[in-house]
Amino acid sequence: MTSPDPLIASIRIAAPPDVVFPYLIDPALLARWFGDATGSTPEPGGAFELAFDDTKSVQGQFVTIDPPKRMVFTWGVPDSNVLPPGSTTVEIVLTPDGTGTVLDLTHHDLPRSELPSHQAGWAGLLKELERVAGHD
Amino acid sequence: MAERTAEDAAGPDAVLRALADPNRRQILRLVRGSELPAGQIAAHFADLTQQAVSQHLRVLAGAGLLSERRAGTRRLYTLRPDPLDHVRAVLAEFWPDALTRLKDVVERDHPPTGDTP
Repeated sequence: MTSPDPLIASIRIAAPPDVVFPYLIDPALLARWFGDATGSTPEPGGAFELAFDDTKSVQGQFVTIDPPKRMVFTWGVPDSNVLPPGSTTVEIVLTPDGTGTVLDLTHHDLPRSELPSHQAGWAGLLKELERVAGHD
Repeated sequence: MAERTAEDAAGPDAVLRALADPNRRQILRLVRGSELPAGQIAAHFADLTQQAVSQHLRVLAGAGLLSERRAGTRRLYTLRPDPLDHVRAVLAEFWPDALTRLKDVVERDHPPTGDTP
């Protein structure tokens, strides 16, 4: 959750947080903008599953559901070594803004070569790779 | 498996194996600043067969370390220095697209009443 270099995206929506929040957790509403979430159980510890088409999907778990302010879920790709299910965390915070909402999304723990890794030796290998790649 | 892209397949193990071989590290050095055809890469390795060099190129490409492009009958290779940052680049486009769809759907379902900035 405390990766020093997370990915951030924000947007303003012309509806209050209590209107926006269900769209983040209700499978029927998620389907309208995000993907097929019928495998999801929107409660802390419940499965978070999104299918985009026959071959692509993401998997994780709901971690925090705090309507209408904040939700956190883990995010990964089945069978991926780089982004295994549960390996990264997405945090969405809704802040009232007049009659609307500012939504701030932060994707934590994404793999990056400069960051230390849990896998033994991985950082050292990437240092070698960087040396080879000419970052002298 | 055939559908999987390099960033899906490349993990610490694949990169570890790819970098473990001195010839493969030498190949990465050769292509780090320029795009080279397989034949020209093979010419740098007098003691390796063309087939062995091709095998090394496959291992490096499989680990996401090399990008491969066809130009006529030739295959050109260049260093793809960071498969991990590629994942990041994909998501950096993915999230704004997804949030824009969310905004559109919510605002269509709940049209602003007019006093919204």
